[in-house]
Amino acid sequence: MTTTETKTTQGVLTSRRPLGNRIYRFLRSIPTWFLWVLVILWTIPTFSLFVNSFRERDAQRGSGFWNALSDGGNGYDFPTLDNYREVLFPDVGAGVGNALLNSASIAIVATIIPIAIAAFAAYAFAWIDFRGREWLFIATVALLAVPSQVALIPLLSAYSNGVAWTIPVLEKTVTLFPDLDLSGQIPSVWLTHTGFAMPFAIFLLHNYIAGLPKDLFESASIDGADHFTVFWRLVLPLSVPVLAAFAIFQFLWTWNDYLIALTMIGGNRANLPGTIVVASLAGEFGAREHLLTAGAFIITLGPLIVFFLLQRFFVRGITAGSVKG
Amino acid sequence: MNRLVVTVLGIVAAVGGSAVVFIGINKLFDLTEERYPLYSAIAGGLLSGGVFYLLWGNRMLESPVLVTILAIIIGAALGYALGIFEPSTQRLAVGIGGGAALGLLLGIFAADSSGEGETAIAGILPSIDPVGIIVGILIGAGLGFLIWVISGRKPELMIPRMAMGLALGWLLGAWMAAELTGSRAEALIVAVVLGGLVGAAAGGRSRPDQVRRADIALGSRKYIFLTPALVFVGAALVIPLLRTIWLGFLTGNPRELTWTGLTNYADIFSDPGIIDFSGAGDIIGSRLFWLAVFLLVVGTVVGRVLGQRVGTGFSVNSGSLSLLTGGVILFGFAVFTAIRGTIPNNLWWIFSVIIFAVSLGLAVAVLADRARGENIAKSLIFLPMAISFVGASVIWRLIYVARPPQDPQTGVFNSLWVMLGEWSNSGLAKTLVSLVLLAIIAALAYLAWRGWQAEANAIVAGSAAIIVVLGWLVFRFLGPGLGGFETSEVTGEIVAAPVLFIQEGPWNNFWLMVVFIWIQTGFAMVIFSAAIKAVPEDLLEAARIDGATESQTFWRVTVPQIFPTIGVVVTTLIVQTLKIFDIPKVMTNGNFDTQVLANEMWERAFTQLNFGLGSAVAVVLFVAVLPVMAMNIRRMQRERLG
Repeated sequence: MTTTETKTTQGVLTSRRPLGNRIYRFLRSIPTWFLWVLVILWTIPTFSLFVNSFRERDAQRGSGFWNALSDGGNGYDFPTLDNYREVLFPDVGAGVGNALLNSASIAIVATIIPIAIAAFAAYAFAWIDFRGREWLFIATVALLAVPSQVALIPLLSAYSNGVAWTIPVLEKTVTLFPDLDLSGQIPSVWLTHTGFAMPFAIFLLHNYIAGLPKDLFESASIDGADHFTVFWRLVLPLSVPVLAAFAIFQFLWTWNDYLIALTMIGGNRANLPGTIVVASLAGEFGAREHLLTAGAFIITLGPLIVFFLLQRFFVRGITAGSVKG
Repeated sequence: MNRLVVTVLGIVAAVGGSAVVFIGINKLFDLTEERYPLYSAIAGGLLSGGVFYLLWGNRMLESPVLVTILAIIIGAALGYALGIFEPSTQRLAVGIGGGAALGLLLGIFAADSSGEGETAIAGILPSIDPVGIIVGILIGAGLGFLIWVISGRKPELMIPRMAMGLALGWLLGAWMAAELTGSRAEALIVAVVLGGLVGAAAGGRSRPDQVRRADIALGSRKYIFLTPALVFVGAALVIPLLRTIWLGFLTGNPRELTWTGLTNYADIFSDPGIIDFSGAGDIIGSRLFWLAVFLLVVGTVVGRVLGQRVGTGFSVNSGSLSLLTGGVILFGFAVFTAIRGTIPNNLWWIFSVIIFAVSLGLAVAVLADRARGENIAKSLIFLPMAISFVGASVIWRLIYVARPPQDPQTGVFNSLWVMLGEWSNSGLAKTLVSLVLLAIIAALAYLAWRGWQAEANAIVAGSAAIIVVLGWLVFRFLGPGLGGFETSEVTGEIVAAPVLFIQEGPWNNFWLMVVFIWIQTGFAMVIFSAAIKAVPEDLLEAARIDGATESQTFWRVTVPQIFPTIGVVVTTLIVQTLKIFDIPKVMTNGNFDTQVLANEMWERAFTQLNFGLGSAVAVVLFVAVLPVMAMNIRRMQRERLG
């Protein structure tokens, strides 16, 4: 009914004012253009970085990225891998290569350990009954919103000096966390990321694990399986999608992290991850400015690959846990 | 290559170690039902070994390696014995004996004060003080009795509970409260009694029967599963948070902090760098402000008029809403460019990021929904989410870069801006561009007219808005000129004048926010997209059958359906934006009036080493997220507790 009506109205209009209608319909599609204009605007920055990273220093300083194709005519090499060569290897330039290893070390461990720990906790919150469970869960997840800044000062001093507590009245001091001289070392970043990731990880995994069918657990416990077996044999395999979602989220988060590594590793150049090395390149205006493009592209490459290959899981992690703090 | 090996080994050790510990403990508690003595032996060894290891770590033992190994052996033997013996007198005797043996070990090897300077060890040999011991025993007896009463007054638990309380009291009174200047003999007496009491507590309980062992196997799991997570949450978030709140009241260098009350907070809120109201008077005088008022008034009128047409008080549609949003944006900018400082900057960030990321994200989600190439468009908008803030800052520096006026501009923005300036000063280009713009205006006017006939308000409002903006452009272009140029006062020549996007305040703040908006629009889009796809098809179909236009369906059906999602996106963005750090840090390091709270905190704490003030700034951040936390808690309570 509706469709025929529209058709006739359109038919009448078309026969009366053909040109006007064509223009009208053309102009009405402006919102769709708006989408594609936005898409192009959103892509230009990344694209310009990509192009510029293959241009010589003077070419980068002399003209915008859109002139890359005429670089050859101006006596420059394009594309050239010189920037990458220079930025990757420590004997020539900035040593981003070494920093990439540190980034990988930080991100891999700071992804796997939180997943494991949070999966146990999420299982316990979902399927083990105990008093105060709901409250403990809410309290843990509420910490999502806490900004990591509030924990940095005490954590750094714990890593560099340990934690000692003087018992009031008795005037005796005990060591609660030994002075392991962790500040400047990568394990301090692992520990910090693991702690900070906990609320979000528990929240995300719990949502999924709590949604697994109840019959599954009942039949398993009739078969005499204990919690550990159920967790290991049943819950873990079934939770692969959400584990993957969290893993990707956490990997990108830790790989891209700047604040925590800067605070905990600080001045120890050998252990700095890629983000900090590139940021410090950005800090020194001038001489090595051209390396910035290649450096930034290298540290972005890993996340981009993960993004394009596993976008589905990443989106799932984001939508499922959109209260990450 | 060497580094690569070290890295891989570190990863394997960290992951493998954690796995072995966790699985090991689970396997240990699996033993309780079938092989109780073995479980008991391992648990005993681990417990006593753990205690001695802690003493070792606190430098309270002499020859610690040997002592800890001995402690593990004795503990395991004691655990094994208690795992076998049934009769209660035997158990008690074995427990006291084993405990006393451990005490003897401790007494013999407790550290005596020795060494000087760096290597000095404060001894822990207690000197026996009758008063302390008597007070300790009294406290311990009271404590033990209390625990026994609380745990249900079971007669068979009387001895172990009392022994446990007495052990605690004895430890407090005879050792911890004592002067640590005693002799070896005194240490032996105190330690053996302590060990005996602990052993009595362990041996005083009957051997668990099959049912209780199954209970242990089952009941232990919640602790095993939860402890690692809760330890991390406590150690990395809760305790540091409490300590930061405490540090906020202290001042001085990190080694010797002294109490200063609320001085840090007074310093923060009286610092003109952090909040400065002196420009507030200029708000009324600014053009932005009046433009904002104009848009808000027009938006309200449009909403009212259209609302009366359809019989509601106020019509929420593309026209009224875009005018009102524009008004709110300009109003916010008028306020935040006048009231300066770190805190207003942070509020400005939150304001801009929420408005732009939410509206653009929603727009993309709606426009892309079922459009051709939906997935490609969404992927590309979403892509910046994968890029680090550092990478994004570097990328946008390239876009914003300003070269000297005589050189070609290499940044996209300045290149366009300077080109516009060149056109403004060339008669031909000026005429051509103006003609093109006027043609577009004419087309839009036609569109608006057709839209008016078709009663498509969104088209009318949208075209009208674009016409106003383009008209203003033509006016500027033909009149005073537009773009990056200036006339040299000396020679009268016209030279390029690029904009210093990153350095020129206060608008540089906005250019930094653009980077974050670029990233977060993808986030908002993904969430909205999921929400829009979840709107039931029946509802939309019903609205269409009732004759609603696309735009009406959107505002009356889709938007109310996804309203809770908007709330979630906004709260998430508030939390994310509040702690924004990387972008200002990398792009300006807080210079040129772009300081934000997170960077203020970092600089105070880690550059100036003023832990007190840094902590106070962190607490301000924490207080700012409290409302969001409270909302999240309320929502979860509703969902979970009913």
